[in-house]
Amino acid sequence: MVAVVLRVTLGAVFAYAAYLKLAAPWQLFAGTIADYELFPSWSIAPLARFLPGFELVLGLLLIAGLWTRYAGALTALLMGAFFALMVRSYALGMEIDCGCFGPDGDPISWRTLVRDGALLLLAIGVTWMYWKPRRAAAPVEEPKVAV
Amino acid sequence: MKLFALTMALALPALAAQEVHPGKIQGNTAAPLRIEIFSDFECPHCKSLHDEILPQLIRDYANTGKAYIVPREFPLQGHRYSREAASYAVAAARVGKYPAVASALFRNNASWGTTGKVWETVAAVLSPADQAKVQALAKDAAVQKEIQYDVNYGMGAGLDRTPTVILTRGARRQPVTGSILLRYELLKSLIDDYLK
Repeated sequence: MVAVVLRVTLGAVFAYAAYLKLAAPWQLFAGTIADYELFPSWSIAPLARFLPGFELVLGLLLIAGLWTRYAGALTALLMGAFFALMVRSYALGMEIDCGCFGPDGDPISWRTLVRDGALLLLAIGVTWMYWKPRRAAAPVEEPKVAV
Repeated sequence: MKLFALTMALALPALAAQEVHPGKIQGNTAAPLRIEIFSDFECPHCKSLHDEILPQLIRDYANTGKAYIVPREFPLQGHRYSREAASYAVAAARVGKYPAVASALFRNNASWGTTGKVWETVAAVLSPADQAKVQALAKDAAVQKEIQYDVNYGMGAGLDRTPTVILTRGARRQPVTGSILLRYELLKSLIDDYLK
């Protein structure tokens, strides 16, 4: 039950973040990606067009409980990449928006790091819950029959 | 949430290009797209937008009749001399010198932003006759009202930073903030999409 609640929560957050990005012109998200100063210019537009849709698919898969193990693992990897980018930018003192929830101004700060760090832990937790080996069913003891 | 508030505020009708002196507007107001630029004369990114991006917007959109550009004054509270600078710029629009005064203010904002010598910066690009007119006009109630209109318009639209651009085509409005305003290829792509 806990796994289902966490999975749906993670999926809803991803789907919501994707919706906010998709509702705005892609160029706004492209500007945010470019601000990280890590990606070659030719990759900015394709990334800005692809990532929100990918986030939406992952979010919906997690909510629906389809291909959960793979959706969870990909979500954790994506969150790990986002978090690493944010930590790098914060450490370098770059005053940029994180772009996590669309183009609404959300500058990278300790608050956004805590929030996204928590989401990363959530994604890792969900992935672990769905990948961990299922515990073998306890052997049923044969009833002792009195003779 | 802020995006929602901004979008809702922008959906309100009747906040258009009125209350702006024609001397500030670049391009033909019959053009299909309005590009409103909210700036603060002390803001470094506004300076970059004015110096690097605005000439390209004028070349590609105002001069070609695709859009007209409306500068809006949005002096931020933390900037001590921005309001005074805006007063001189709006006053200068009334003698046809808004572009020259705005350029001088942005070009030297690191200097007057520290020393407070705003008038000296403005006077340097005006003739003695225009200096007298602009100094008098800067205190005029109509000039102050125009600045306040821009501020109220921006606040009502949920603006919390400069520069911010609002694209308007018919009933469609799109606020644009952030680094895209300093990346012309992305901004141009956005505007071109908006014109389709």
